[in-house]
Amino acid sequence: MSLLDYFRRTKSSPAKARDDLFDEAFQRRLEWLAVASRRLFGGRLRAERRTKKSGSGLEFVDHREYAPGDDLRYLDWAVYGRSEKMLLRLFEEEEDLAIYVLLDCSGSMGMGEPSKFDHARKLAAAMAYVGLANLDRVALIAWSTAVTRRMPPARGKGRIFKVFDFLRAVKPDGETALADAARAFAAENKRRGVAVIISDLYDPAGFERGINAIRYQKFEPMVIHVVDPREADAGPDGDVTLVDVETGDARDVTLTPALAAKYREAHAQWRAELEGFCKNRQVPYVVADVTGPFEEQVLGLFRRVGLVR
Amino acid sequence: MELLGLPLAQLASIFAVAGAALVALYLLKLRRRRVPVPFTKLWDRVLAPRPASSLFDTLKRIASLLIQLLVLALLVLALGDPRRAGASAAGRSLVVLVDGSASMKATDVPGTRARAARDAVRKLVREMGPADQMLLAQMDAQVTALTPLTDDPAALERALSEYAPRDTGADLAGALRFGLDALRTAPHPELIVVGDGAYDPPRDTMGPVQMGSVPLRFVGVGRSGRNVGITAFAVRRYPLDKSRYEVLLELRSWSPRAERLELTLTADGAPIDVARIAIEPGATVQRVLPDRTGANASLEARIAFEDGTRDDLPADDRAYATLPERRRARVLTVTEGNRYLEAALLLDDYLDVTDVTPAAAAARLRAEHFDVVVFDKVTAPVPPGTRAIWLRPEGPDAPLAHEPGYASAPAGTALRFDRVERAHPIVRFASDLEEAHVGRIVRYRPGAGDHVVASGSAGPMLIAGERRGDRFVLFAFDVRESDVPLLVSWPVMLINAVDWFTGEDAAYLSSFRTGEPWRVPVPAGVDRATVEAPSGQRFTAPVLEGRAVFLGAEAGLHRVHAGDDHRLIAGNLSDPRESNCAPVATLDVNGTRATAPRAGRAGVRRELWRYLLLAALIILTVEWFTWHRRITV
Repeated sequence: MSLLDYFRRTKSSPAKARDDLFDEAFQRRLEWLAVASRRLFGGRLRAERRTKKSGSGLEFVDHREYAPGDDLRYLDWAVYGRSEKMLLRLFEEEEDLAIYVLLDCSGSMGMGEPSKFDHARKLAAAMAYVGLANLDRVALIAWSTAVTRRMPPARGKGRIFKVFDFLRAVKPDGETALADAARAFAAENKRRGVAVIISDLYDPAGFERGINAIRYQKFEPMVIHVVDPREADAGPDGDVTLVDVETGDARDVTLTPALAAKYREAHAQWRAELEGFCKNRQVPYVVADVTGPFEEQVLGLFRRVGLVR
Repeated sequence: MELLGLPLAQLASIFAVAGAALVALYLLKLRRRRVPVPFTKLWDRVLAPRPASSLFDTLKRIASLLIQLLVLALLVLALGDPRRAGASAAGRSLVVLVDGSASMKATDVPGTRARAARDAVRKLVREMGPADQMLLAQMDAQVTALTPLTDDPAALERALSEYAPRDTGADLAGALRFGLDALRTAPHPELIVVGDGAYDPPRDTMGPVQMGSVPLRFVGVGRSGRNVGITAFAVRRYPLDKSRYEVLLELRSWSPRAERLELTLTADGAPIDVARIAIEPGATVQRVLPDRTGANASLEARIAFEDGTRDDLPADDRAYATLPERRRARVLTVTEGNRYLEAALLLDDYLDVTDVTPAAAAARLRAEHFDVVVFDKVTAPVPPGTRAIWLRPEGPDAPLAHEPGYASAPAGTALRFDRVERAHPIVRFASDLEEAHVGRIVRYRPGAGDHVVASGSAGPMLIAGERRGDRFVLFAFDVRESDVPLLVSWPVMLINAVDWFTGEDAAYLSSFRTGEPWRVPVPAGVDRATVEAPSGQRFTAPVLEGRAVFLGAEAGLHRVHAGDDHRLIAGNLSDPRESNCAPVATLDVNGTRATAPRAGRAGVRRELWRYLLLAALIILTVEWFTWHRRITV
């Protein structure tokens, strides 16, 4: 019996029974993904990631001047013997990684069948599960124009059902304002870490401002761009009013094949701009196609971003 | 350009209303389908404002409206049926009289002459000019208009399918007068006769037909006229022996050569006589077949060439006749004894005679029904439905008032039948009545509607009339005081009277002639009769003066149903003019010779509304195509 099976039996909830997004089959897929990720990065220890902070780790990083009160055990006596300088040996501190999954809950995420939001939630669950399985600290933040809901950082696989409950509770609604949400997120989370943005990035203010806001707050942003390729299609020809599902903005348009081609081109260009922006700023960028196979996408995602190494 | 359809003012009104509605619809904001999209900012990249295109779009909208108005204008103009100016003024008004007489059934041309006539009329229709109008009428014993004056070739061709020759002659005079009346106010009138030209000179009660200024055209059909026809066929029962009858048959040849015929006579479908007859060109042969017996109802005569060939006109190769129905009549004689009366009534085997004394007459009449009652110098109340022969009745129940006493001739002379109404059925075949001598008479005063059939110097001697629907005959003298019983006329008059009472008219027609009004006797109290023609067609005929009256247009045996009475009558062509079916190449009307018809001035009909509709359709198609291809959107 796997650990998930155990929890599944002991922690089943009415909400879970109602929502089949994270059903038993999905949970088995997550378990398989966790095993696969271990096989990929086998031999690693838990909480093995190095941080920028110096501390009480094993690997030497640097020296600094001794200050009264420092632990004399870390004084580099060899240096003192050669130069009579009292330097303290600094080691890279090893700590658990903080992973913040920023899930876009704007109205545009609810479009399509299957919806981008469902796909995004499953991706978030997968990210969270693998993070929890690697004993990282995983927090979930739902946002649209601001942070609308949050799940505090948690560790261990046992917390996955909290993740499911959180993801079940959020609904797509409202407009997209990643920059504002990022500022609020940074203010609430002092501990820096990886900020995984799962979004379609249809931000009227521009995706650049949102991603930069996270970068400037010293988080390591990673963009999972949820894409529904059908959105590049303009739809049937004729006189229509295009209505923005988030803002309600309307455009009277007579759709023609030529216009549809132009729109397809504009959509592709926008995606290229987004990818180029991330590449130039060394922000990991992954496209998650809602019509593609889920497991392959997640494994590719892990491979691509090196979230687990 | 002129408008033959709706007038210009009406077209303008229609265009104004429809145009206003069109513009109003055009100004209405298009209700667009709402399509939710995730990110309209992306669309802004595609829909960036283009000033030049906006202007183009505006122009496109205006052009689209103008195109719609143009299409509307074309449709409205089409309603006006525009024509080239002067086209209608030059148009002819044609009345085409198609011969529908029996001779058009001749088979001397492929099919029949009727088919050739139909083809000729169709050719005339196709040669109509763009502004020509034509009225089509069938000319037989009557004139039947098949169309009004119309310029619609399709309607004319449809009407042509209704044309079918009948078993009658052709009333050319009536047809010409009809055509002239129809063309009285029409521009450029022309009268065209299509037929075989075998017509009587066009003259009727109004005199010869005058064509005036109306040109007469003639299209002749037919090639030859080899024909032998039955021109008369009659049958009658012998007046004094109605179990037997004799047949009269007349044949006439219009064949250019001597012909040998086989004549077959059938009674109720069974052959009763077959004879071979040789007939010279132009000769007439009469055959009388006497002393035929049998209770047959109908007779048919049929001729055929011995060599197996057929003449050109089969319509007169058959003739039909019917025999009057015979039934036994019950006769009651109320007399003290009258040998002359008894002897006369015994001559007719179909009379069932009962004698009764005047004292017992009233009781007998109350107890039984008699078809005829003969009162011999006595009177009694007559029950309804009983016809009576009164022999000098005197008394309160006499049918006529009379002067007291008797009137007689001067001494040494006798009363004679000075005036005899020979047309009356009572005295038919009473050929020796004028030889009679009568001693004295009672002077009766005939009532209104009574006929004095015979009278002498002293007053009416024989009176016929009707009381409450029952006929009577009154002899004003006692036959015992005359030598009338010694004459053949005595039993003839008595039997004529019985026949007249029982509907067995001596003037019975064994066959009628087609093309004439037929007057068929029907029982009293019936106001309409149903006629079943040989072709199976049924129609209703009105009853006038006891006879169903209708135009017989079909040869053969007809059934006439009137109430409970069902009667078989025969109709024959019996028209030498029609049987002489040799075609005539020319047609002369009162000195005017008909010429060949000429074609319309233009072979192609220029009805612009078709082109206007076509143009509107093309514009709409182009508009539809460009719109769907998003070229003009």
